[in-house]
Amino acid sequence: MINRRSVMGLFAGAASLAAAPFASRAAQPAAPPAGGFWRTRADLPAPPKAPENVPGTLAPRGRNGRMERLPEIDLESRMDFLMSVRTYANRTMSPAAGRRAAAILASKGIAPDTEMPMQEAIAMLENDPMVQARTRAWMSVQQLSWDNLKKECEDNADAYLSEMEAVDQRGPGTLELNPGLKMPDYTRHEIHIQPGGYVGNDFAGHMYDYGTNGFYTGNNEQDALHMTAAFGLPVPADGKIKRILDLGTGVGQLAMALKERFPEAEVWGIDVGGPMVRYAHLRAVERGLDINFAQRLAEDTRFPDNHFDLVTSYIMLHEVSPQGTRDIVNEAYRITRPGGIFYPIDFDLRNPFPSTAYGQYRRWWDHRWNNEVWTIKYRTNGLQDLVRSAGFDLNEEGPVALPRFGVMNATKPA
Amino acid sequence: MSNKVEAERSKAAPFIPADTGSAIFLDNPHLDNLMTVVIALGAEIWADRQRMKVVERLLETEGKATTEMIEAYVPTDAEKKAWETERMAMVERVYSVLSRDTSNARPFGEERQF
Repeated sequence: MINRRSVMGLFAGAASLAAAPFASRAAQPAAPPAGGFWRTRADLPAPPKAPENVPGTLAPRGRNGRMERLPEIDLESRMDFLMSVRTYANRTMSPAAGRRAAAILASKGIAPDTEMPMQEAIAMLENDPMVQARTRAWMSVQQLSWDNLKKECEDNADAYLSEMEAVDQRGPGTLELNPGLKMPDYTRHEIHIQPGGYVGNDFAGHMYDYGTNGFYTGNNEQDALHMTAAFGLPVPADGKIKRILDLGTGVGQLAMALKERFPEAEVWGIDVGGPMVRYAHLRAVERGLDINFAQRLAEDTRFPDNHFDLVTSYIMLHEVSPQGTRDIVNEAYRITRPGGIFYPIDFDLRNPFPSTAYGQYRRWWDHRWNNEVWTIKYRTNGLQDLVRSAGFDLNEEGPVALPRFGVMNATKPA
Repeated sequence: MSNKVEAERSKAAPFIPADTGSAIFLDNPHLDNLMTVVIALGAEIWADRQRMKVVERLLETEGKATTEMIEAYVPTDAEKKAWETERMAMVERVYSVLSRDTSNARPFGEERQF
């Protein structure tokens, strides 16, 4: 086991080496390519300031652009491998399971594109060996990924805690933690079966950052989706962007990307998870980004009325209960200024997965086994009507902030 | 809280545990366990292979490979791409049987009459 503190000094050179390509890039971001994700580091604008080793922080193996490398080559390699197995499960095993589903339907005289209720689809498919092998392989990858990251964090708990403690009170930007925050039950689940969820483990931010990097199968290691989203979000018609709020900011990826796009704006990121915003603050400090992170509820932000020019979120609402969603939309209306924009980025409600047998089964296992507690209700909750009822003018046609995601461009009437 | 951090340093809060930890999908719980074992073993083998690649590279370029040098090694973009391709090929080579059509699978000898 490598002592993270002892190797810090040894590899400071490696850290600056890894960051060097970023430092030399143009600071002004370019527009994202039309209709696609930013997939590679070369496509991304350089951060306004290269990440550095702030006193008290750790980067034992340096950085890979925006992301700090995992602290040991063996852990990094195991995570890489699990990501490849995830890719295999998605790319090869899932279609194989889909073919089995079609064969099962055919044996019953049912056309493969027939839509059916979820319970019927589950009963038809859940005992098929191929379908279950795919689910099992995916589940094993998910569990192993979390296990690897959790063990790393907890084996080195003191070092990781000390690193966060060293910058809790340090700028740029601020960190506000509210240990006594009364959290609605819907926020306390182990979403994606992440150990402790977003609130119950001191290393939730560390685990989320590297764990979800695996979810994206390598396509987001430079926050490519968040950068694309930040640069794709609309601005108010009057062009004024002085204050921005990212709800459910998690580890602050969208908030940091927004700060890169709007360096003069006051950017806030709030999240119910104290460990999440604590980690977000650490990363923002290392990047030299002046962002305010706070542990607050999206339905009770404690900001003044009409305060923000842009209120946004990235894949938060599908993790929220129906009541929580209503409260959040109303709160967003209250704090958005007249003429300002509320644009929650999330799964596309206009074009949901087809309700075929395998589509329904996949939706169910994501809910049941990935512990996506609220996703099914998110799709049937009538979010568009909630947004309109709150008072927003809703445009579902554009602009597309993030390709393949929903368009929820809501303006508060001036 | 799911981690063992002393209370005065912890910022974690009570959470609602998922009930998926012991989920069983296959006919026998040990088959589920074995799926996890073979994927975990694959990750361990890849970690060794990855380390070997770094050692070989360092020996070629530096003439030595210490633990510190191995941990600090930063691959080029071309190396990263090549490693990813090789890793994916290994996954497909090792696990492809998991995607074979099992619709006609049955115990060997089931149709034999003696």
